[in-house]
Amino acid sequence: MIKFKIRRQDGDRVWHETFSVEETPGMSVLEALFFVQERLDGGLCFRYSCRGAVCGSCAMLINMVPRLACRTQVSDAQSEMTVDAVKWGALARPVAKVGKDEILIEPLPNMKVIRDLVVDMEHFYELLDYIKPWISAGEEVPEGGNLMSPKVEQKIEAYTNCILCATCYGACPVAGRDETYLGPAALAKAWRFYLDPREKEKDKRARLEAVNNQSGVWGCDVVFKCTAICPKKVTPTQGILAQRRQIPKNKIKNIFNRGKKSED
Amino acid sequence: MITHDIIVVGGGLAGLRAALEAHLRGADVAVISKVHPIRSHSVAAQGGINASLGKDDSWEAHALDTVKGSDYLADQDAVEVMCRDAPGRVLEMEHWGTLFSRTPDGHIAQRPFGGAGFPRTCYAGDRTGHNLLHTLHEQVMRAGVKIYLEWLVTRLVVDKGRCTGLIAMHTPSSKLEVFGAKATVLATGGYGRIYQRSTNAIINRGYGISLAYHAGVPLQDMEFVQFHPTTLLGSNILMTEGARGEGGYLYNKLHERFMSIYAHDMMELAPRDIVARSIQTEIDEGRGFEGGYVHLDITHLGEKKIEERLGGIRQISIDFAGIDPVKEPIPVQPGQHYSMGGVPCDVNGATPLDGLYAAGECACVSVHGANRLGGNSLLETIVFGKRAGEHAAGYVAGIAMPGESPYLDELDREKEAISQLMGEGGENFAVVRDELRSVMQQDVGVFRNRTGLQRAVDTVRMLRERGRNVRVKSSATSFNFELLNAIELKGMLELGQVIAEGALVREESRGAHYRTDFLERDDEQWLKHTLAYYAPVGPRLEYKDVTITQFQPKKREY
Repeated sequence: MIKFKIRRQDGDRVWHETFSVEETPGMSVLEALFFVQERLDGGLCFRYSCRGAVCGSCAMLINMVPRLACRTQVSDAQSEMTVDAVKWGALARPVAKVGKDEILIEPLPNMKVIRDLVVDMEHFYELLDYIKPWISAGEEVPEGGNLMSPKVEQKIEAYTNCILCATCYGACPVAGRDETYLGPAALAKAWRFYLDPREKEKDKRARLEAVNNQSGVWGCDVVFKCTAICPKKVTPTQGILAQRRQIPKNKIKNIFNRGKKSED
Repeated sequence: MITHDIIVVGGGLAGLRAALEAHLRGADVAVISKVHPIRSHSVAAQGGINASLGKDDSWEAHALDTVKGSDYLADQDAVEVMCRDAPGRVLEMEHWGTLFSRTPDGHIAQRPFGGAGFPRTCYAGDRTGHNLLHTLHEQVMRAGVKIYLEWLVTRLVVDKGRCTGLIAMHTPSSKLEVFGAKATVLATGGYGRIYQRSTNAIINRGYGISLAYHAGVPLQDMEFVQFHPTTLLGSNILMTEGARGEGGYLYNKLHERFMSIYAHDMMELAPRDIVARSIQTEIDEGRGFEGGYVHLDITHLGEKKIEERLGGIRQISIDFAGIDPVKEPIPVQPGQHYSMGGVPCDVNGATPLDGLYAAGECACVSVHGANRLGGNSLLETIVFGKRAGEHAAGYVAGIAMPGESPYLDELDREKEAISQLMGEGGENFAVVRDELRSVMQQDVGVFRNRTGLQRAVDTVRMLRERGRNVRVKSSATSFNFELLNAIELKGMLELGQVIAEGALVREESRGAHYRTDFLERDDEQWLKHTLAYYAPVGPRLEYKDVTITQFQPKKREY
């Protein structure tokens, strides 16, 4: 039996409840939560869909690290420490175990809790919407399709793998103190469209201008937490820095990037 | 009451494509979905999407492969439409921003897939569904289509033989609301979760299909259930057919490439029904590994190619099985994957119920017949999603919003049904659900026979009775998943019954429906579609002819 200490919330009432779950081989944290919901307390709520780390529904804080519950093995989480690290914010990686024999489950930080582990994602989606995350394709589809070199395709692919799970947003210290900050996912997405040769130059420039401020690429603390925790190996920080380099008049501010090779 | 010209139920590929098309044609359209669109199961599709883009390929060749793959149960006029429309729809997705993998000269890359005579499966690594779905969602955002997030549609409203809208529950508040519409498009996907082992997302419970069934629409060919040959041992997450398309081998525990016995020419790239049966036979005859699986070996492809083209399944294998396919073979077994059957509709998505359309996996056009070829389901979503959106937009342009309709009566009925579900005691939804999943797996799986199917029919009938006694103990008014599960369980039980009864009556083997007591295909008796009509005790079965145009049924050999 493994103990899960779960942060519950219903309106203003917040409490922690510990459930004992029968572990089966290869059990994920998501499966453990289903065990609780189906056998112990039908009221426990959390989002889910694919259970295969592609839909991005089940992001939550597991032992203080923002992660997908489906992708996190109970056996791994069990060997980690559950620290009272609220003052540090979310951790970028788990801490090795020293003591307590339970797994701590909490909702994703930096978002309003609706109930239990379900958070309000609307603000996250609005921030994404702000960067106009789409190709402004014309009506005519070119004969035979657009051509693109495999090299360019692979460069963009590093950013299209984002599943919008918001673990990066939950890990981001800037998002924690400034809700106007667009956050790692939206800014990484902005870079994805900048890289795409199918996007028109004027739309690229407009998007770059839209993130050329403290709520955009200049707001980033450059602590790489988002990059460290991304379950799909997307590198938002690198995308943010790359956009800073595209903004000539602000190049002088770009202190974090001195001596690094340009990605152009 | 909320009204729109068109309401699309479901935000996966078919639903978004239908909504986008209807919007582009000037209709007031909204999408309603129980999850955010990008959480839909389309996102999990891996291997690719078929289109005859190649110089030496043709839509006719694509159609022949599809019809042969279907074991001649597909309607050939519908297959022709799909294969003709394919290149245009795929290039359109590319134009809208889908990041396909590329050939060295910059064209969309295509790989070989099962049952296909040409490498015609366009792919984006092994994340094709993800790339297509995110692109369509982006274009739907660009268009400004209204999306009702986290609503479960609980019934369709039918008035004088016409669908006039629906009743839905707003998950965050558990409130019921009436939606009026001139046309409703079902794009709710499959029902994989009525099986114990399924590649499908946990949300795939087939509730949308059961909505149509309750509204009086028959369900077509439901006994044809696709079992994917290669699902990851344990979690049954999909291991794409692209792994074999890129050159992967299947081995039994004696390290034999056993496909040489079952499909001498096409080997690992025979259609899914054949490969799934081959693997299951190896396991059943003791040549599988302890625990019931075989090996999918891609180690010889090398790390670079695996990372480039199969990076997704590599990561899944590492995360969910602790195995790196670069170094070791992947343990795989067959698992439920796709529903060939569904809500019958024509090539424009129109169902037998006026005002109701269907597209994607929940629909049965039928382009897949008794067995779907890999790469044809993503194609189906965008081809027939677009056509349904287009046709629905034309349909609503000429008619007025339904005025008087029994909306409030239906709302009261739904409120009553839900209040009867609440309370202490009774059955736990999860217990009944697990028994359903177990009997479907055991007796309505890869191999079927009369004894097992009769047992399944009896068990599911009994489970439906027990299902009436399910009670929801949680009184939470926000995200009450126990309640949502209990509501959807009813639909799961009904679909299980339709599948099992259809399979029991069909005394032949065709495509994915394989009877060990009737080994041959029987065109004389069974070259026909099943139609299951709702009746309180169990479905009433009727049959209709298959449309054959240019390909006469032949023995299927690979």
